[in-house]
Amino acid sequence: MIRIKIDGEETLVEAGTTVLDAARGLGREIPTLCFDDRQDAFGACRVCLVGIEGAPGPMASCTTPVRDGMKVDTLDPASRRVATAVVELVLSELPRPPAEHTELAQISRMLDVGTPRWPGEQHDVKKHDESHPYLAFHHELCISCGRCVRACDEVQGTFALTATGRGFGANVAAGLDEGFRASACVSCGACADTCPTDAITEMSLLQLADPEPVR
Amino acid sequence: MSDRFDSTVTTTCGYCGVGCRLEAHARDGRIASISPALDGPANNGHTCLKGRFAHQFSRHRNRLTAPLIREHGGFRIATWEEALHRVVSELSRIRDDHGPDAIAGLASSRATNEDCYVMQRLMRAAIGTHNIDNCSRVCHSPTSFALRKSFGLSGATGSFEDIDAADAAIIIGANPTEGHPVAGARIKQATLRGMQLVTIDPRRIELADYAVLHLSPRPGTNAAVMLGLAHVVARDGLVDHDFLSARTEGYAEVEDLLGDYTPEEVSRITGVPAHDLERAAHIYAEAGDASIIWGLGVTEHLYGSEVVRLICNLALMTGKVGRRGSALLPFRGQNNVQGSSDMGALPDTFTAYRSVGDEEVARAFEERWGVTMKRERGLKIPEMFDAAVAGDLKAMYIFGEDVAQTDPNTKHVEAALESLDFLVCQDIFENETTKYADVILPASSFLEKTGTFTNAERRIQLVEPAIEPPGAARTDFDIITTISRELGHDMGFETPADAMREIAEMTPDFAGVTFQRVGRRGLQWPVAPDGTDSPILYEDEFILPGGRAQLAALPYKPPGSAASDEYPLILVTGRRLQHYNAGTMTRRTGNLDLVSSDWLEMHPADAAKLGIVSGDRAEVRSVVGAIEIEVLVTERIEPGHVFTAFHFPEIRTNLLIGASADVNTSCPEYKVVAVAVTPIGRAAGVPQLETAAT
Amino acid sequence: MDKQPAREDDWVVVSRNLVELVRRHHEQGAPTALDVLKEAMDQNGEITDDDRRLAAERSGLPEATVHGVSTFYEDLLVPRGRRHVRVCTGTACFAATGDAHVDELAGGLGLSLGERSDDGSLSLAETVCLGYCHASPAVRDGDVIDAGPDAIERVLADAAKPAPEPLVESLLDEPVLIRTGDWSGLRKALAETTPELLLEEVKAAEVRGRGGAGFPAGAKWEFARNAEGEPKFIVANGDEGDPGSYIDKVLMEDNPHLFLEGMALAGFAVGASHGFVLVRSEYPRSKPELEDAIFHAHTEGLLGEDILGSGFSFDITVIEGAGSYVVGEETALLACLQGLRGTVSARPPFPAQRGLHGLPTVVNNIETLANIPFIASHGAEAYRALSPGATAGTKLVCFNERFERPGAFEVPFGMTVRELCEDVAGGMRDGRSVKAVQIGGPLGGILPASRLDAVFDFEPLVAEGCMVGHGGIVAFDDRTDMRDVARHLLHFGADESCGKCFPCRIGLRRAHEMFVSNAPVERVSLEELLEALELGSLCAHGSGMPAPIRSLLAHFPEELGLA
Repeated sequence: MIRIKIDGEETLVEAGTTVLDAARGLGREIPTLCFDDRQDAFGACRVCLVGIEGAPGPMASCTTPVRDGMKVDTLDPASRRVATAVVELVLSELPRPPAEHTELAQISRMLDVGTPRWPGEQHDVKKHDESHPYLAFHHELCISCGRCVRACDEVQGTFALTATGRGFGANVAAGLDEGFRASACVSCGACADTCPTDAITEMSLLQLADPEPVR
Repeated sequence: MSDRFDSTVTTTCGYCGVGCRLEAHARDGRIASISPALDGPANNGHTCLKGRFAHQFSRHRNRLTAPLIREHGGFRIATWEEALHRVVSELSRIRDDHGPDAIAGLASSRATNEDCYVMQRLMRAAIGTHNIDNCSRVCHSPTSFALRKSFGLSGATGSFEDIDAADAAIIIGANPTEGHPVAGARIKQATLRGMQLVTIDPRRIELADYAVLHLSPRPGTNAAVMLGLAHVVARDGLVDHDFLSARTEGYAEVEDLLGDYTPEEVSRITGVPAHDLERAAHIYAEAGDASIIWGLGVTEHLYGSEVVRLICNLALMTGKVGRRGSALLPFRGQNNVQGSSDMGALPDTFTAYRSVGDEEVARAFEERWGVTMKRERGLKIPEMFDAAVAGDLKAMYIFGEDVAQTDPNTKHVEAALESLDFLVCQDIFENETTKYADVILPASSFLEKTGTFTNAERRIQLVEPAIEPPGAARTDFDIITTISRELGHDMGFETPADAMREIAEMTPDFAGVTFQRVGRRGLQWPVAPDGTDSPILYEDEFILPGGRAQLAALPYKPPGSAASDEYPLILVTGRRLQHYNAGTMTRRTGNLDLVSSDWLEMHPADAAKLGIVSGDRAEVRSVVGAIEIEVLVTERIEPGHVFTAFHFPEIRTNLLIGASADVNTSCPEYKVVAVAVTPIGRAAGVPQLETAAT
Repeated sequence: MDKQPAREDDWVVVSRNLVELVRRHHEQGAPTALDVLKEAMDQNGEITDDDRRLAAERSGLPEATVHGVSTFYEDLLVPRGRRHVRVCTGTACFAATGDAHVDELAGGLGLSLGERSDDGSLSLAETVCLGYCHASPAVRDGDVIDAGPDAIERVLADAAKPAPEPLVESLLDEPVLIRTGDWSGLRKALAETTPELLLEEVKAAEVRGRGGAGFPAGAKWEFARNAEGEPKFIVANGDEGDPGSYIDKVLMEDNPHLFLEGMALAGFAVGASHGFVLVRSEYPRSKPELEDAIFHAHTEGLLGEDILGSGFSFDITVIEGAGSYVVGEETALLACLQGLRGTVSARPPFPAQRGLHGLPTVVNNIETLANIPFIASHGAEAYRALSPGATAGTKLVCFNERFERPGAFEVPFGMTVRELCEDVAGGMRDGRSVKAVQIGGPLGGILPASRLDAVFDFEPLVAEGCMVGHGGIVAFDDRTDMRDVARHLLHFGADESCGKCFPCRIGLRRAHEMFVSNAPVERVSLEELLEALELGSLCAHGSGMPAPIRSLLAHFPEELGLA
């Protein structure tokens, strides 16, 4: 067992536990965007940053294992500054604000993110994939967090999704970018369930939100 | 979430035997969305397209919303009062004129435990007959029979979780990635982590691509395969003699029998290469922990129950039962096929498989219900149809079952239904069976009722209604208890929880079950009075005299159907991912958009001989019937075999299935049917002439 | 914060499942998806969905995964005409012409970058970098790499000729890194020492990684040696993507035996039986030269089974990349080797525990490995003595075309940058003067002329906001506009971002946009963005990009167009 301190509170956890899990075990709220408990940690969003005594800088808590004697500050100012900056950057690349119920919107509220300091190019409002009876893909809302790809890989095991492109042009596609229907997708919905921005969502929920869906 | 939805209820899925826990979100009285419950013990935050998306059927325009009474060859809407009156008076009349045994009931394996319990109580106490059965008859009854004989209890010996702890596993006669998708995904992940999987199936199922070995035995030869594996285990010194001597009986006779089943002999019978058989045996026997999973590809055979006993033999010989990672998991197809049988909706047993002839148990129920009952068993489903055709059975009360589509030997079933004087069907949609009904009662789907389901790992889980039954439809529990009361037997149950209270009081295996204890994680029976449940069975003893498991020396016997010159191909039937059984629910959802019809899988070699290419329509003919279907040519099926499912009434696959059924349980031999396939529009080999007129 | 890897059960590098699928199919002799896609590109000049399906079938990977791979690598993205011209837009070529050569070529061919002519006869693409920084600008016409002031003219006249190779010299009396490899170190080690002792010697030699991170090679080897899992691998990082750097090119093409010997020694010390060299596709000569050298080593009995009768077996395979700078990062490199998208993975676990195919893997830079034979032959003390009072061993540095004597030079650590620029490379040519020098690659800090007395070594350069990096030294002369430098570097940074982590994926794009627009750059806003990049990024690409920008902010603020 490993003894660590989180925000001054001591706790005992098993070796191999991440700082994120240890902190959440103590009820500390650490914002995340690319993390889903049903999948392996990914370390892409850099929103779960925390301060760790002796570390060269903010550390991603989801991919940092605990070490004996570690002292964690979940509200480390530099970490919060950077996490907030990251969320701002994400909001700046979307052509419209995320729906209120999405994780992205919740995290924005939690970090009290204001108007993006760095406006710039946004995702193209590409063709929407609404060919599937249940799953809709609105690519312009994709923030490349990888959760859908990993759900299809690590939970369902169908491997119907992939990250595509690179850099700012990165996105996600089904099959050979042919839409859910033509791909290997088995319609389990794990991707829609995990998507934090509703880039992938249910057709029926789109109709709930907006009876005249955007085509 | 709350601004988008009016309410969210955690419930249990009504589709397959995995029993995913789901969060059902409702708005304006309809289901808006369903998401997987993160703490679902069987599904851990995952589910499949049926549980998650295929809920639109619940408000489909074809939903039965009012009672219907037959009149002038059609149906007219009636009030509940009128319909119930008709049912009660007809059943009473027939009971009085012809005796209670002239009436039979069929409980739905998709309904809740409480629904099934009150149904069997209605038949036994209100009518006075043991003629009650459920559709597990046609799927896993061989499993139930065999597990009770070999180990003592009728259920999986472990849980889905054992898959994660197994070093190796055998899957025989099951296709989890289509029939039990969440469990299939779990198995796939385990194989990618290094679990050594052996798949045994005439088709190269998806999991075969992740297995270390795939065996393709001829349909109907599973027993020979199991005997062959056991032979190799004995021959190569892999038997756990300590386990056998401490905890089992019957090995000596088995050992004698095994001598005949050398790999070469088994290869001759099954077509499986001897070397592969040996390798499979070693993979299983040498693993630290290994589990065996099977499905209807084992049970729906002439000797299905015997094969399950042989599966048990293999586990006993290697000591791989009664601990984590070494489990025997029959993948029960339907959401409550385990529970409906547990609840005694069977002609020969009360709850927990206690015989109707067991004096002590029968007396207890007689006392509780205030009636007397016979000690002889009632009719099984196939016997009910025989009796109807013979004129001995005059009435049936069927709820949640479409026997005219899903049972074998369709023509015979139709004749049976036709010959009844009175048929009551209680269902959510009209179907092939309701065409013969005199009264149709509109019932509730799993999204509209309270109660419990028991999944394939013996886990009793709560079902909570997310919406109301539509129109004038009522819950099955309500209808059945009402009819019982009007027949003169008031069960005194206000709610399903009351029924569960009685079930717990009357059944030691369920003694500690209450809705409150079931909670969010469910309870795996047996449940002790203090609520302790049983994830792993047989850790210390088997539930048989002396605490010892029973091996069975059963030789291989050929299946009921064999290829002949006239019927040269063997048809195997099964399921598709997107649809569910009779398709009653899934064909009324977006799933139909994804898969709108079925197809026959055929190997290229067979297709070439017949001059068939993918997309052609063909006639498939067996001794008892014929159907038309589109063909898909694929190498996933072995030469000499064809495969299709049974989800589409337009195709009526079960017209082809004859009367061959398991010797012990009457489970139909859906998996081995000799057929002939002919391309439509031309005799085989005769070229088509295309003219301007055609 | 110590770098001990944690005890792990559930950690991943890339996708555990995809890595496992790759491993299983590799065992059956299947090609990687990238292999098949590259083949299709080479044969047909473009990639279709049918090619992707074939790649999926042959590699055993899912179709979606293959699609993702096909959209990641530069080489797979631009459709090729029968004549495919690639113009270098690296920093040395930029320093030479201010990118005028790109416009000249594009204009002359009548195509923009990334375009193919309608009749399929001709195509033009951007490439970074061809490794001819000593003779910029450089252009690759088909398989001929031409470089020099008239290179563009020749290409436009369809008369490209192979560029001259650079000068390669050592300041040492007895060259260490540029002496011809003769496998004497391996012979000695196999005859006289044990793997454990060799490992101790390498640790004692304090060899710091030469690729840029400077991580002690001995420590890395020890982690791998102690890790669970068989077999183990040695991977040589030949993805020298830094524009301005051609050190590994020289080692791979002129003197491959030396570092190949280093790989074998690493294998011996670590307990690995196989090595891979990842060479970048922008160096078309490297793979053939290496395979030739490996073949010869085999015939001499220096590679293969039971080398020199010692019982130690080691073989080496050469794999070519497909155009991605980030693939030089070790976890991305391993992904590329496995034919997957070259994205970076979180660490731990480190490749030493879970690397190629999920097995313990040492990833070392080519130059690092070239240091090992000397240690095996002469010992740790002699190695440390090569640069007295400074980092152990020697360093290859290379200079860009702006210098009088551009070339690759072996130097001891501890000289000043001024000495290197003036004494070794002869100062600026054409009578120009040094305005600023970027050291160590595009993520290295920039020294203004006034600060060239900084000492060329790890810690001293860090104090200047700079780094040793891989040792490339690129000078900007007095004609250069430093705002253009900022724009150039940020264009490169944004273009090469793997796209996985948010700060880099979006932040580098935003930083580039700031310098592309005509609007003045808000300093505070820029610095906040740089902080997010530096502290938030997943790897040294995003976190390193701020360094040169900060140098520019510190030393050339008036040129940057700040608000």
